[in-house]
Amino acid sequence: MSAVQLASMPAFAQRLRTLPRLGIGVSTEYGARKAKGVLDPGALRREHPELAQFLEVGVEVERGLDDDARAWAKDGAPTTYHFLDVNLDEPEDFDARWLDRVREIAAILRPAWMCGDAGLWHFGNRDRGQMLLLPPILERESIAPMAAGIVRLREATGLEVLPENPPGAAFVGRMHLLEFFAAVAEQADTGLLLDCAHLAMFQRARGHAMLDGFDDAPWDRVVELHVAGGSVHDVQGYAFVEDDHGPEVLADTWTIFEAAIGRASNLRAVVVECERNPIDVVLPIFSRVARTWGPA
Amino acid sequence: MTDDRLDPRRVHHAMVAMLFDPEYATRVRGDAAVAELSERERTLLRGVDARALATDPYRRARAVTVLLEEYPVTAAVLGIAAFERFFATEAFRGVVFGRGSMALAFGGWIGERAHGVGRLEAAVAHVRRSIDDAPRADQASLRCPPRMRALVVSAGTLAYHGRVRHLLGTDPAATLARANARRAERPPQRGAEYLIVERRDDGSIDVGTGSEPLVRLLAFAQHPRSREALAEDAVRHGATPDETGELLDDLITQDLLVRC
Repeated sequence: MSAVQLASMPAFAQRLRTLPRLGIGVSTEYGARKAKGVLDPGALRREHPELAQFLEVGVEVERGLDDDARAWAKDGAPTTYHFLDVNLDEPEDFDARWLDRVREIAAILRPAWMCGDAGLWHFGNRDRGQMLLLPPILERESIAPMAAGIVRLREATGLEVLPENPPGAAFVGRMHLLEFFAAVAEQADTGLLLDCAHLAMFQRARGHAMLDGFDDAPWDRVVELHVAGGSVHDVQGYAFVEDDHGPEVLADTWTIFEAAIGRASNLRAVVVECERNPIDVVLPIFSRVARTWGPA
Repeated sequence: MTDDRLDPRRVHHAMVAMLFDPEYATRVRGDAAVAELSERERTLLRGVDARALATDPYRRARAVTVLLEEYPVTAAVLGIAAFERFFATEAFRGVVFGRGSMALAFGGWIGERAHGVGRLEAAVAHVRRSIDDAPRADQASLRCPPRMRALVVSAGTLAYHGRVRHLLGTDPAATLARANARRAERPPQRGAEYLIVERRDDGSIDVGTGSEPLVRLLAFAQHPRSREALAEDAVRHGATPDETGELLDDLITQDLLVRC
């Protein structure tokens, strides 16, 4: 990042003022509604407008937007753009073709901001069969490349870019996840998206208590929270959480969410990630989120 | 490699290789040298519970399925077990550590193992991913455009490929899983057939035959060549020196050769 760019970009604290409070939203991905009986975000918004105030659209550029996302955007309802296909710490990932497509999709969605897991979304180049998601290497050396990618994407799109803590069954590196993302956010001068279910996975994998690290987290930078269901599995005695976005939100996730709500003084949005479930099955999750967060 | 060096990308890449290949994970955990990793990087990776690498039992199967979609007849010839072995090779780790394409690296690794059908499906994989640069009129070198590949295979390969592909149906993976065996019919291994694989503007891919001189010249031009070198190659394949100029101009006009 050059000195000129630093000088021309207002500090995050100033930029934050322009970010709207979106309220409670629901997530979607391309083709999420292919399975029978899963929720239609448009129907959720019509039937429970207070629980579907915006749509967080998971975007893999190669697939583009499905009909649900396009219909939502056409109605002019608020969105956020959740990337699913960029390794922020790899400069090669920001090729002109990908950035052009990102801008095209953003022009359709007109999102309030961009966000997405700050991890390894693909190995090798961005090709078929090479997508996955691994959390960042939690060492000091990872911070600068990650922060540079956030700034690069922000400048290329003109949108705020909120890095999200990714899920994982294993986490490599010695830093605490919250300490790592605090450093990334400070270096990129950006906000954060805290995924409560993903953080619970980290705390469990490391043998931490669910609120370990909370005292040092940069809560004033947390703009968005995610709540999602998960399920506990076991491999040869190794217990791990599958981030399946199912109907059961684990108690650990609620513990983190409820503690985070009380600390995130600049919170603008909470997403319930439940895109492949029937509406009636996940309504209790939305209701609990609404009760916990309270009115605007 | 310096023992205290840490490149997060390299650690990520090693983690990916460990996830796909238990043998590689064992090597990283062991004492034998792993040239691509510093001791500090290995120490971090050794800290990962080995069981955590096995939490997604279908990871490799999904990758095999993707390869199988692009190499269905190769799978019929070699069997799916051969595809599994790819993930324990330097070729696969080259993709991971070197920002490569799994499908293209797989085609390179297959080489002649599946005879012409492997090379034909690899050529299709190449043109599917090709991005044609705008022709550069100021450049002296010429090449066959990336959207096109010319190759010489055994006689009858194209027909064999068509027959087997038809038998595999719409879900080759399921068909092969049911058959649980290689196809009885062996792929052609004699004679020669001259093929041109081309991606059309609409993304569809055509495979057809060409004359031997044309296919050999285009195969030679898969890499940038000088006009003089191409003329010499054309003469080797039967053209007279007097006609090479007009021949090359015609190929340029037809976009079979582009300046690069």
